[in-house]
Amino acid sequence: MISVGFLSAVRHADSYIDIFANDPRVRVVGVSEYADAAEWKLADSRRIAGRYGVPFLSPDELLADPDCDVIVVCSEPTRHAELAVLALQAGKHVLIDKPLAVTTAEADAIIEAERASRGTATVINRLHSPAIQRLRRWVDEGHFGLPRHIDIEWFASGAFFSTSVERPELVTDVALSGGGEILNFLLYPIDYLSHLTGLRVVEAYAEASTLFQSTHAEAGVEDTAVVSLLLEHGVTATITLGRVASAPGHGPVSSSVRLIGSRGFATADDDQPAVSIFGTDGAQRRSTIGGASSEAIVRSFLTAYIDRLELGAAPEYTVRQARETLRVVEACAEAARTGLPAILIHKRPEEG
Amino acid sequence: MSAPIRVAVVGTGSIAREHVAALASIPGVEVAYVCGSDLARAAAVASLAPGAEATTDLARVLADPSVLGVDVCNATPQHADSTISAGRAGKHVHVEKPAALTIADFDAMVAATEGSGTSLMVGQTVRFQPAVAALAERVHAGDIGTPRLAHVSWYTGYVWPGGWRGWQLDREKSGGHPVHNGTHSLDVAVWLMGRRPVRVFTRSFPSFAADMPVDDSFHMTVRFEDGSLATLEISYALAEPGDMFRRIMVAGTAGSIEHSTDSEPRLRAPGVRTAPASVEGAMRVQLAHWIELISGRAEPIVTTDQVRAALRTALAAQESLDTGRPVDIVWEDDK
Repeated sequence: MISVGFLSAVRHADSYIDIFANDPRVRVVGVSEYADAAEWKLADSRRIAGRYGVPFLSPDELLADPDCDVIVVCSEPTRHAELAVLALQAGKHVLIDKPLAVTTAEADAIIEAERASRGTATVINRLHSPAIQRLRRWVDEGHFGLPRHIDIEWFASGAFFSTSVERPELVTDVALSGGGEILNFLLYPIDYLSHLTGLRVVEAYAEASTLFQSTHAEAGVEDTAVVSLLLEHGVTATITLGRVASAPGHGPVSSSVRLIGSRGFATADDDQPAVSIFGTDGAQRRSTIGGASSEAIVRSFLTAYIDRLELGAAPEYTVRQARETLRVVEACAEAARTGLPAILIHKRPEEG
Repeated sequence: MSAPIRVAVVGTGSIAREHVAALASIPGVEVAYVCGSDLARAAAVASLAPGAEATTDLARVLADPSVLGVDVCNATPQHADSTISAGRAGKHVHVEKPAALTIADFDAMVAATEGSGTSLMVGQTVRFQPAVAALAERVHAGDIGTPRLAHVSWYTGYVWPGGWRGWQLDREKSGGHPVHNGTHSLDVAVWLMGRRPVRVFTRSFPSFAADMPVDDSFHMTVRFEDGSLATLEISYALAEPGDMFRRIMVAGTAGSIEHSTDSEPRLRAPGVRTAPASVEGAMRVQLAHWIELISGRAEPIVTTDQVRAALRTALAAQESLDTGRPVDIVWEDDK
């Protein structure tokens, strides 16, 4: 049995705790938040504890609990690093909500804390996307030859934003989020790129704009970006990212990929394959096989995370990977700010 | 029955052949002349249209008062001279894309035609493809609110013919790939978004051989004057010769619209490859529109202002490739 506790439980905590609560191998030991945290954070965390019938604890109690194996850091992004370091120092395994942190300096602090801890750290990600795994398999089997260009479209639908349980300010208030949608979302397509190619980004250019969401306009953060990347070996990539009014997909988020290789070409879409339903009222619906990607992918990742913990294996997605992705995200944000391409210099791979 | 509309085609290359065949298939149209520098080639192209006369004498063609319009399909560097001569002779002009290799040339072409009482239509064939025309109709009707973000992925499996002699590999002749074919996707973007680009960044790669003098695959990020954005990709790198994939997505303030060639009827037969239904018959529709236009029966679908905006952006895109930097397009500098 793996015991899991939540250190702050805002934003996506509801969906994560739901997955754990329904996994017979997992026991949720409690939800905690600091007494001096903002009232809404305490209220959200208490509400989630109440809904799942688990104790609401102080962070000190939770971190000192010898029965708690895993701490889920599910606070606002600007507190991820601080809480993750505390949990690692307490010797716990740490599962951090995305984004890992809001700066690479914070990410480095987590990496250092993990090095000194007997616990491991990982970050919520979408590499369990069946569409991405299929493309990766085809890359590994050689069907593409050498990948040359990858195009990724990543959208969230604004229609879901206002009605979502998620508090919009967790994305738009820089004090909580660290930035706009570049920091919030760009990590997903960047993760996809490195997962599919095994290459590092060497130059990033991005244009950002606020085109769709009044919440973002009021807060002064971008809701849209177009990105041009150069990877090692002359491989190029484009990313079109946005919280648009209504995304061309079936759920709250949608993403599609086009991969051109020297020997082959393929597309992938997190909403596909799907079945179509045609109602007598003329309405058409599409239902993704395997369930909505936004839920199915996270469920698959969390299930595999528990699998590996039970085996005593290290997490498959490392904080170091997440840090490399964050570095590219930072480069894109810098390019969008300065209007100049940002160069990423890579040192020789470190040991370990 | 009204008298036929008589037109002349200037140029004898592969595009000229397609134009002559398309014009000859439009009822009420007569291709009067095919004019080129080589009489034998002109004769071969003229043979595609009954009654067409092959000639190397452009002045004679332009002096024929029965010719209403001239369709300029020669090499891109010759577009300006031919168009200006035809316009000065009082002819309506259709010119193959890219219209010109410089803005100064394009402005002179417009002045010699629109500026002296005739007309200039640039052959932005893509606008006449059924899928693109339908997307534009829905966007312009307001179905997605105000368009704010466009994403065009346009891939083919194609190598410019002629090996290393291919004129497309010579920047002096083609203008480079952002000008040669980037004008297609930029024109679509300008048309769908309905505003002008103010900054472009371009990145490229050679699809099939290192050290191509002109990279055949490239992409652009485009910022428009109101902050709207676009990602435009063109690649020749599909492994399967003749393969084509194109997806166009536009997100607006009240919805999104999308078309992909992946989701349309397709023939699967050994050794046979047909064009996607969504691009069928565009050139004939385009030239039929030109005939309507010069007959005074239609309003222009392709305006020279839009073509100029796309061409300026394409030239800036090439500059971006050369410098590795984004390039600003300052419209206030214009006349």
